[in-house]
Amino acid sequence: METTMTATRIDRGSTETTTIYSEGGDLVFERTFDAPRELIWKAFTEPERIPRWWGPKGSTTTVAEMDVRPGGTWRYVSSAPDREDVVFYGEYTEVTPPSGYTWTFMFDVEGVGPQGGPETFTFEDVDGKTKVTSVGHMGSPEVIEAALATGMVAGAIETWDRLEALLAEG
Amino acid sequence: MQAPDTLSATFAALADPTRRAILARLADGEASVKDLAAPFEMSQPAISKHLRVLERAGLIEQGRRAQWRPRRLRAGPLRDIADWVGQYRRHWEESFDRLDAYLRDLQESKEHEDGDDDDRHTNRPG
Repeated sequence: METTMTATRIDRGSTETTTIYSEGGDLVFERTFDAPRELIWKAFTEPERIPRWWGPKGSTTTVAEMDVRPGGTWRYVSSAPDREDVVFYGEYTEVTPPSGYTWTFMFDVEGVGPQGGPETFTFEDVDGKTKVTSVGHMGSPEVIEAALATGMVAGAIETWDRLEALLAEG
Repeated sequence: MQAPDTLSATFAALADPTRRAILARLADGEASVKDLAAPFEMSQPAISKHLRVLERAGLIEQGRRAQWRPRRLRAGPLRDIADWVGQYRRHWEESFDRLDAYLRDLQESKEHEDGDDDDRHTNRPG
């Protein structure tokens, strides 16, 4: 990962099970699973296993394409009842079983074009359990800073907008 | 969905700490250029320049009511950016929960399999 300055780790609201932090332009998720590394590797790289867990709750994932080798491409279609299908796609750039892989994680935004970037998964054996680290490159530290900082601001504005509309009604 | 150029304009506008500070100040309510310039050691024209960048990015707008044209925040582009990182975060938090449950299922059913079929597997530690 290229970083131009010394990257500092900043906690981004870790939960009981998952450590979440940003480091430079990367957003990192870490979680230890009570499963051997070989099984984790299969869960991430065998097409028939992906629909069992990939994607937020309430969504279903269909694997359209998944060629797990450097230069191989992948394409998942994510469906959910409350939105249109979203296609995620990209290319595997580094594949080192069973310790991890890197792929590009892309999606198209209407009118904007492809968005996303490289994502690296590392699987470490820790006494029979496996520590999974996902590193997603979000662009620059500023983007992460701004996005997370403005999340709350945006929420506040919506509240005022509603208040203002209410007041306007008289 | 916002216009094509807006997302990159939004990112560019947010890259500057002074502009982020201005947005944070506006999060407390609308303010005049003079009010916004006060916390910074900057001239009003310098602040106005930042305000124009924020305005072009669609992050703020000028109020219509008062003569002093207070600036206020606009929710749209901010929400779009926050959404993207928020959704990415939600994706991994929830996928990890689902993966955890899936792995438990697998290992439970595997234990049964192992018990039924001792010839196929050698005993593993742990």
